[in-house]
Amino acid sequence: MIKYILAALACGIIVGYSNSKLGDVFPNRFVSYYLFNACLIFLLFVMGFALGADKEAAVKIRKAGLKILALPLTIALGSIVGGIVSGLVLRIDLFASAAVSAGYGWYTLAGPLMGQMFGPEWSALGFMVNFLRELLTIITVSVMVRVDKYAPIALGGATTMDTTLPVIVRYCGSDALMTAFTSGFTLSIMAPLTIITIASFR
Amino acid sequence: MMFDLMVVIFVIALVFGIGLGYVWRERKRVNLGRVTFAAIIALIFLMGFNIGSDNVLLASMPTVGVNALVIVSLTIFFSLVFVKIVRKMVKLE
Repeated sequence: MIKYILAALACGIIVGYSNSKLGDVFPNRFVSYYLFNACLIFLLFVMGFALGADKEAAVKIRKAGLKILALPLTIALGSIVGGIVSGLVLRIDLFASAAVSAGYGWYTLAGPLMGQMFGPEWSALGFMVNFLRELLTIITVSVMVRVDKYAPIALGGATTMDTTLPVIVRYCGSDALMTAFTSGFTLSIMAPLTIITIASFR
Repeated sequence: MMFDLMVVIFVIALVFGIGLGYVWRERKRVNLGRVTFAAIIALIFLMGFNIGSDNVLLASMPTVGVNALVIVSLTIFFSLVFVKIVRKMVKLE
């Protein structure tokens, strides 16, 4: 599975790169917006179906209850601590590095928002860190799932409600769907709030 | 902001799928493995396409690359460690 995923990713990058160099043979917005989202909506539907049809999954989710929220809060805290530590290591603005990590993988948000709150020089970093987070989640999922059942969800951060969700469910099982989705959803709400809060402390 | 209509559609698709799956559960078993696999591969390919055609992203890679790698590694590391610790304290299935 992971072989095909990596191959698809590499092919996609090459095709995308060639396409933009050849002057957008396929309109970029069409591919990146409509096709991508159509694919995602289809997958969410199919995975929801599999979850609904799974009799054991409902029992497991009911047992987890509100504890399900412990996971995104922990991931948020861990991310921000990681951001502060890396700020110390790299000797850069601690607030900025913490805020960059508080994008939780949502790079289309973290890039522009970092630019807005901390200045344009942080925009590229906010974008890149969170983009790499999403990429690493997909690349390492087969290894991470052996470390801990929820490790891929921890890595994925806010992306586990959409882009990385299909891959995570594939590896962690159908009953991880609600945990991953709730975690990603909560972190997606928290991302702009925490970035702005951290910026206001600066 | 960007947290828009798409998210609403995502939730609807998911809820609709769960509902339909729930209704379907007593009927014939359907194997969705192949369909999901194909859709995942298509999704990852399109993600790659987005990356490859994003000139701003590719251009910023050499300048912020090293810092970004350090930050993302530590961010992931601490998220993982914290989740491991909390999993020991709060029992999650």
